Amino acid sequence: MINISIAGIGGQGSVLAARILAEAALAKGWQVRTCETTGMAQRGGDVTSHVRMGNLGEVVSSPLPAKASVDVLIALEPGEGARNLGLLRKGGLLITATTGQPPATADLKAKPYDAAAVIEELKNQGIELLIVDDVELCGELGSRKALNIIMLAVTLAAVNEPGLYTGNALSGELGIDEMRKAVQACVKPRFVDMNMQAIDIAQTFVAGLPR
Amino acid sequence: MTKRFLTGNQAFGLAALEAGVRVAAGYPGTPSSELIETIAQKHAEGSAKGVHVEWSTNEKAALELLSAASFAGARGVFTCKQVGLNVASDPLMSLNYVGTGGGLVLFVADDPGPISSQTEQDTRRFASFAKVPVLDPATPDQGHEMMRAAFDLSERYHTPVIVRPTTRICHASTFFEVPDSFEAREPEGFEKDDKWVIFPRRAKLGHAQINQRLGLIAKDYCEDKTLSAFNQRSLGGLAAASTAELEEQGVAAPFAELYATPRVGIVAGGISASYAQEALALLEQKAKDAGLCLPAYKFLQVGTPYPFPEELVADWAQGLGAVIVLEELDHVLEDEMLKLAGKFRLPYDVFGKLDGATRSRCENDTTDILQRLALFFDVHLRAGVSLVPWCDPEEGEFHVSFTEAVQKGAAKAEWLRFEEIDPTDKLADPKPELTSAGAEVLGKLDAEHRAQDLAKDQLYSLVVADLDPDCSAAQAEVLSPLLAVRPPILCAGCPHRGAFYAVKRAAGKRSNVRMCGDIGCYTLGNAQPLDAVDTCLCMGAGITQAQGFATVEPGCKAVAFVGDSTFFASGMTGVANAVYNQHDITICVLDNATTAMTGSQPHPGTGNTLMGPKTKPISIEAVLRALGVECVLRANPLYLDESIAVAKKAIDFEGPAAIIFQSPCTSLVKPDAPVELDRELCTGCKLCCSAIGCPALSWDYEQEIPRIDKSLCVGCGLCTDLCRSHALSVTGRVEHADEPRFARPLPYENGVYGIEPERRESTPAGAPKEGSCHD
Repeated sequence: MINISIAGIGGQGSVLAARILAEAALAKGWQVRTCETTGMAQRGGDVTSHVRMGNLGEVVSSPLPAKASVDVLIALEPGEGARNLGLLRKGGLLITATTGQPPATADLKAKPYDAAAVIEELKNQGIELLIVDDVELCGELGSRKALNIIMLAVTLAAVNEPGLYTGNALSGELGIDEMRKAVQACVKPRFVDMNMQAIDIAQTFVAGLPR
Repeated sequence: MTKRFLTGNQAFGLAALEAGVRVAAGYPGTPSSELIETIAQKHAEGSAKGVHVEWSTNEKAALELLSAASFAGARGVFTCKQVGLNVASDPLMSLNYVGTGGGLVLFVADDPGPISSQTEQDTRRFASFAKVPVLDPATPDQGHEMMRAAFDLSERYHTPVIVRPTTRICHASTFFEVPDSFEAREPEGFEKDDKWVIFPRRAKLGHAQINQRLGLIAKDYCEDKTLSAFNQRSLGGLAAASTAELEEQGVAAPFAELYATPRVGIVAGGISASYAQEALALLEQKAKDAGLCLPAYKFLQVGTPYPFPEELVADWAQGLGAVIVLEELDHVLEDEMLKLAGKFRLPYDVFGKLDGATRSRCENDTTDILQRLALFFDVHLRAGVSLVPWCDPEEGEFHVSFTEAVQKGAAKAEWLRFEEIDPTDKLADPKPELTSAGAEVLGKLDAEHRAQDLAKDQLYSLVVADLDPDCSAAQAEVLSPLLAVRPPILCAGCPHRGAFYAVKRAAGKRSNVRMCGDIGCYTLGNAQPLDAVDTCLCMGAGITQAQGFATVEPGCKAVAFVGDSTFFASGMTGVANAVYNQHDITICVLDNATTAMTGSQPHPGTGNTLMGPKTKPISIEAVLRALGVECVLRANPLYLDESIAVAKKAIDFEGPAAIIFQSPCTSLVKPDAPVELDRELCTGCKLCCSAIGCPALSWDYEQEIPRIDKSLCVGCGLCTDLCRSHALSVTGRVEHADEPRFARPLPYENGVYGIEPERRESTPAGAPKEGSCHD
């Protein structure tokens, strides 16, 4: 069983990322279930999408993962990754973007939200952590719209890249090629090129990571 | 057939079409709305032939329409959320007495948590109250099968049938085989008969028919191939072990049967059955890793909770000493298990919500069930009951019950009990923690039964160790204070914001203003800094609650807020009451031209229908006037000064008055250019950030100016009216008129009701917006 959760803010595309993984799992012939948990599905609220794949032929019963059972947690926003840290299994991998999204109702008296401080604390949690400079990667693409695709592609590249996170449950099970095929099945034809470019950028980024 | 990735609700909609549904009707409500939208989409594509699909004015209207369609032989599907069935309860109760013709299935989605609802009511309970059969799926796949089976069941016994999924079933996705086209079954037509007319004599006969068919349906739930398959039974632990595995566990061959005979049972319903199966798989794996094996147990999912399949469950429960029941919302299955024990004189004890062994409210989840099951097994392992069941080896006597076998002073409820962290903290999720009494008993049992004990370690501690509570607590302590709080709030540019703020400003410092809210996006007007909702009860209640305040608090200014869809659904009777009984209230209709909270469905005021052709929109203003409201004003809530002036005028009016705050939902219109800040003019007063709570505006502490999130701002311009130093501006906004444009009552002459309000397009029929909010 492989459990992947994608945490973010409404509108960041965690649902599409989950859909792409589901499509890739289907192509493998695995049973797959997805589900979203939402703070209340308003724009700007937190949304976490879960994908559960029976890669060993297991039956997937529940659409939601248990605590401490997620193999990869993808955070499209660092604070949302931290919020969902309890899902991550021991030895699981957290892949987080750096850009923080301030909350919609900033209490004028409270301390402002500081995403960098969250990332600093995440470094002390004794977890496998990959920090992705999303500003740079999205800048290269010229759009933040494909942040979800970039983060998912970084994930699939990083778990299969020798010397990086190859000990993950996802390693060797799903890779970039499968993702490319799944993206074509999930997004409108006119967006395919942009998404493929996003995947290229993610691959280059992972190839350049220190071992 | 094509394989498609669908949510539960989409699959259920297609299942209804596969069953040849002729009419689909309902009222939107999370988590049920997507079923009607799916059918509408298929209709719009032309792949669902002969189907009529509609959003009805409310649930009552939908079910009444469907009842007659059913009398004429058509198959129909009704949809609503749990509280929607309250609205449709009047027709449902009588309809069950009259009976149905064509298959009639009520799809009623419950919302444990609750995630986006007013109550945690249980439709299984409603079904037994109404004496209507109900099916309860554990997965979207099973729900898809149940939808199809429900139509056959309905026609076999001429009864309405409820299919009741919960949020996690409705909104979970997986792959389904989908036909490429659907065709509605042609009805035979209505045949006049006395049986369709409810009357005391008819009801007397009807009640007999109901009682008779419920007996037959309960039997079908036990024996019918399709229906009994919804009550899945399985064996686990040592009951599923081979002789070799038993030997590995130190069980000698002569005792194999004894050890492999289950003495404990798990009963589960709905999504809890899926969580339980997941938890059991995890627990089996953890036990195996530790060199243990779970005691023999039986598992039962009850997918047909009413009428309860007694024979099947009694047969399943034979030989059991203890049963734990896992379900959300009410203790429906637990009650049935208790009843069964009495009726069939079965010697098992029941653990569940009633004794604190399982969560008494909110959602269940795999982790919680895992811990509770681990402890449940632990206690039984320690007690030796599972291992040397019923028979005391020294005295050779059979014990009557599990409790007696344990022979401990502590009451049953005390030792298998988890405490809620703080039952009075309304926001804390109940979390399991072993009570000290429980720990003590476990300890005692541990010492006394060590000799018989197969397990060398507690499953519970194994499970908890894996969850690493100390580490999670440390993480939470460090990280939680750093995280952003993201409460649900009105969107940037939401016209409701201006309406609430204007009414508050118009009310000024008067302490005797009562703001009665209602159900919809605008319930969010309660959030800070608007803080504009004093009460919220149920659909349409704001208008009538305001009348209650006006009656008993003389001199108070009672203001009701109601959305456009809610106005039609259940607001109009309240208006009639205000006029008839002359209550001095102000009704604010927040007309955003859609049913926003549930994902932008059309309603009578939009004129858009799911069948395609646009009808003439019903004018809210005309309705208000026709009902006799003499002061009907209109305002654009994005223009603050005008809105305040209008609100003042309405509040000061003696007798019922109404304001129609009219501006479309931001999800319906293209955003304008975002607001611009002139830094030279900004005085740093913070009013733009502190007064209206727009998510596009936050305070930049370093520069002491507002920060505009241009990705969120839609250029509504409300903040430009607020800014006293004119530092904020938007393009594309008309200049303020000297006289508030909408302050005058609209013309009403010669039977013509005012000016037809200008409307922007609502969501096109049958095309639910992607990524729209679904609350």
